[in-house]
Amino acid sequence: MLHRVSGIGVVLFLVIHVIDTSWAVFYPELYEKAVASYQSPLFTVGEFALVALVVYHALNGLRISIMDNKPELWKYQEKAAWGVLGGTVLLLVPVFIWMGMHVVDHYAKPNVFVLPLAEVLREQIPFAAGMGVAVIAAVLAAGAYQMIAKPAEIQGSAKAQGSKLETFWWSFMRVSGLIIVPLVFGHLAMLHLLQGVFDLTLAGGRVVGVPTVGSPLSQAELDAVGLVWPAIQNGINDTGTATEFVAERWNFMLGGVAVWRLYDLALLALVTIHGFNGLRYVLTDYTQQYPVLRRASGYLCVMGAVVLLIVGGAALVATIEPTAIAMADEALRALHAAHGFAG
Amino acid sequence: MKVTFKIKRYNPEIPGKDKPYWEEFTLDNVEPTDRLLEMLHRIKWEQDGTLTLRRSCAHGVCGSDAMRINGVNHLACKVLMQDLGSKVTIEPILGLPVLKDLVVDMEPFFDHYKHVMPFFVNDTPLPADGRERRQSQFDREAFDDTTKCILCACCTTSCPSYWANGKYVGPAAIVNAHRFIFDTRDQAAKERLEILSEPQGVWRCRTIYNCTPACPRDIQVTKAISEVKLAIRKGSPEGIIKVTEIVERVVNA
Repeated sequence: MLHRVSGIGVVLFLVIHVIDTSWAVFYPELYEKAVASYQSPLFTVGEFALVALVVYHALNGLRISIMDNKPELWKYQEKAAWGVLGGTVLLLVPVFIWMGMHVVDHYAKPNVFVLPLAEVLREQIPFAAGMGVAVIAAVLAAGAYQMIAKPAEIQGSAKAQGSKLETFWWSFMRVSGLIIVPLVFGHLAMLHLLQGVFDLTLAGGRVVGVPTVGSPLSQAELDAVGLVWPAIQNGINDTGTATEFVAERWNFMLGGVAVWRLYDLALLALVTIHGFNGLRYVLTDYTQQYPVLRRASGYLCVMGAVVLLIVGGAALVATIEPTAIAMADEALRALHAAHGFAG
Repeated sequence: MKVTFKIKRYNPEIPGKDKPYWEEFTLDNVEPTDRLLEMLHRIKWEQDGTLTLRRSCAHGVCGSDAMRINGVNHLACKVLMQDLGSKVTIEPILGLPVLKDLVVDMEPFFDHYKHVMPFFVNDTPLPADGRERRQSQFDREAFDDTTKCILCACCTTSCPSYWANGKYVGPAAIVNAHRFIFDTRDQAAKERLEILSEPQGVWRCRTIYNCTPACPRDIQVTKAISEVKLAIRKGSPEGIIKVTEIVERVVNA
């Protein structure tokens, strides 16, 4: 049960996070506001919850995979289940302390910009609306299919169906889960522990995973080169915009390979498919008695996965426009000005 | 010892009782070594003759008195009062339609059971001596555990996947398929694996482990289901048990 709740929680954030991050490429000015939301207290609480859910889901998933492949270990099942809970708590203590230090450091600064709660919530309305529309569309499509095709309800004997698909998905969930665990822990360690959401936009701050070249550019130097990509690629977030942070990472080349783009691409593909297939499992478990809803669950999950893969994938292969950082910088200043904040 | 029994009741024929409701009964002079089924008899015989339940052999063999006792599925005839405390809650098993009080409609359960071909299939002629198809002790060991099933439905009705979705074949049907799939003398393993690889087959099992402690015969239900899953992935039951047995031996050594 906890596994399902944690899985759904993570999928919900995944949708918001993939779409938001794609804005770094497509709509830099929106991305600045999205990251400002991430830095607001509501999302700070959410971040702690998210990390807890991910850690629990990962450890519990490992337990289930091991038990499934080594049936003879059933005797240790109860111990293993408690072990997962204990392990989650043990792992979360140092992680939460580390994350808490970021929070304390941030609010200890003399001048902190906090996006008002009302604005943060308003930012989320399109997502809630989008998800609502997706659900309604899936139900309508399933209803239409039911009316037009009138599929015969499959009763009792499943012999005729002949499907190897579920066997594949079952294996996929376990294999992908195994690969996701190191990827997602690495992602969390880099961006939430080493960097921290607040220091993402620290002007002159280091960018995790990218070697630093030289020292932060001063305002005069920035004015001289203009906020133009890739003139300011140096492993340092000179402008303090979230967009530059993403650009520094994604455009960093190691031996001619954009390693962080590849890393994020692998994470995106595996997590999206794993997440939406998991959602399909959960939804179809509870909708078997209702053919229309059952079909709608399938549509919804395929739709969600395809949208995220397209949006996220497009962002990951797209080139970041030279002027993106200038746009982001301007948007960030405007956002600060609108809330009477003098950075 | 004085014990209070809180029993979930339902009688569709009597107005006012046609919605599930709780009723409490109190018994004095309960011995710790008394079995729960005897206490239900005492309630029925001494206090309320309308209390309805199924039971037949009363010795844990026929499997007809499965019920949810203090939230856990069990056979009433195998539970001792000393293990239950002075307040006992009794409900019908979950996930099957309740007919009256503690009696549920077992037909959906048996439909799932029939669906997995729970019978011996072998069309080859008998051995030359005309007596029996022989099998090594090791081969027999592979499905020994699952021969113990008495179809009481404790496992299937303890399964959250089955509660949510009554079309899932459920643990008991898989246990009974396992009994034949891993029998070297049987020839329909492939067909049964095919049936169980369907969307309503073993993949609906989420490895929750509720079924294993629920079994009054101590069958390792989740283990049996996992072995079927592995056999489906391999395409045949061969080798599954042997590999795991070897691992077991290494672990124990």
